[in-house]
Amino acid sequence: MALLRRLKSREERALAELYDQLAPWVLGLALRILQDEGEAEDVLSDVFVQVWDHIDQHDAKRGALVPWVLSIARNRALDALRRRRRWWRKAERWERARSAETGDHIPAPDPAEASVPGWPVHQAIHAALAALPEEQRRVVGLAYFEGLTHSEIARRTGQPLGTVKTRLRIAQGKLEESLRQVRDWMA
Amino acid sequence: MSDWLGMSARPQAPRPELRARVLGRALERQRVRGVRWRGGAGLAVAAVMVLIAGAVWGYRALTTLRGERDRLWAEVQAARDSLSYVVGTTSRVIQIPVSTNGRVGAITIFADRTKHRWLVRCEGLAPNEPDQSYQLWFITDKGMRSAAVMPMNTDTPMVLALDMPGDSSRVLGAAMSIEARQGASAPTGPMVFHLTL
Repeated sequence: MALLRRLKSREERALAELYDQLAPWVLGLALRILQDEGEAEDVLSDVFVQVWDHIDQHDAKRGALVPWVLSIARNRALDALRRRRRWWRKAERWERARSAETGDHIPAPDPAEASVPGWPVHQAIHAALAALPEEQRRVVGLAYFEGLTHSEIARRTGQPLGTVKTRLRIAQGKLEESLRQVRDWMA
Repeated sequence: MSDWLGMSARPQAPRPELRARVLGRALERQRVRGVRWRGGAGLAVAAVMVLIAGAVWGYRALTTLRGERDRLWAEVQAARDSLSYVVGTTSRVIQIPVSTNGRVGAITIFADRTKHRWLVRCEGLAPNEPDQSYQLWFITDKGMRSAAVMPMNTDTPMVLALDMPGDSSRVLGAAMSIEARQGASAPTGPMVFHLTL
C-alpha cells in the first residue's frame, strides 16, 4: 500500500517511515531558513505533528506528498523566523552562511548526504537553481527561504518592484520547466 | 514558486534521539486528542442533560408560579369586588338578624345598585340537615326568583356574590327558606327571613 494511503489509515509505522525519509529534508530546510539548530528541530517536530494531525487534508490530486510536507515545513520555519525579534540579525547571519555555503553551485555530495533518500531530487533542484541567472536565484532565495514579499525583496535588493516581480515570474517559469520531470519518489 | 524548492536545502540528518521524541509527540497528541474528544463528548452530553433537566424544572416552576399568580390574582379581584360593595357610594347595606334551630345569626346584604349585584354574608346559621339547604330568593315584581342554594354542613360564615335576575324584573326584596338539598323552584319550606326593601 502506498505510504500516503497508510498514513491516511492512521498506520503509526507509516509515520515512522515518512520521518525516516523526509526528516533530513525537513530539518535541512528549516535550518536553511532559521539558521538555528534548536529552532529547526522544533520545526521538525511541529511538522510531523501537523502532518499526522492533518494528513486527511492532503489532496493527492493537488500535489504530491513530499512538496506538501515541505510546504508545511517552510511555513512553520518562516513563522518562527517572523516571530523572532532578532529578525534582521538572523538575516545577516543567513547572508553570511549563504555565502559561506556557496549554495549556488551543486554541493559536493557528502557520502552520508548522498545516501539520504531523495538525494537525486535534491541534485535536480540544485541544477535547476544553478541554471538561473544570479539575480533571479537571489530573489527566489529571498522569497522562498526568507518569506519576503515582493516589496520587501525590492527594498532589500534595491531593485524596482516591477523588476523583482518580473525576475520572480521568469525564475518560476524556468524552475517549473526544469523540475517538470521531478516526481514524488514516495508516490 | 516550485513546491520542490524546499529540497534545494542541504539535508540535515536529525540527531538519532529526536526520532523517538518527534514520533512520540505526534502519536501522543493524537491519543490525548482522542481522550479529550471523548472527555469533551461526555461533558457535552452532561451539559445537555443538565440543560434539559434545567429546562424541565424551569418549565414546571414557571407553570406552578403561573398557577399561583392566577390564583392570587383571582383572590385579589374577588377581594376588590367584595371591597367595592363596602366602600362604594352606590351600595346599600342591609343587616337581617335571623334565628335558625335556636341559634341567632345574621344575613348582611351589600346591594350595589349600579352593578346590579349583591354580596351576601351569612353567619351564625345552624348547619343544615343532610337532606336540606338554605335557599336565597329575590322577591321581584314577577314573583320569587331563586338567587342561590347554600347547603351548609358547618356553621362557618359564608359569603357569596349574586347577580340580579336578568329578566328585567324589578327586585323588591329578599327571602331565605330551608329547602330540599338540591333546591326548589319556588319556596316551600320554612322561611328564615323575608324582607322587603
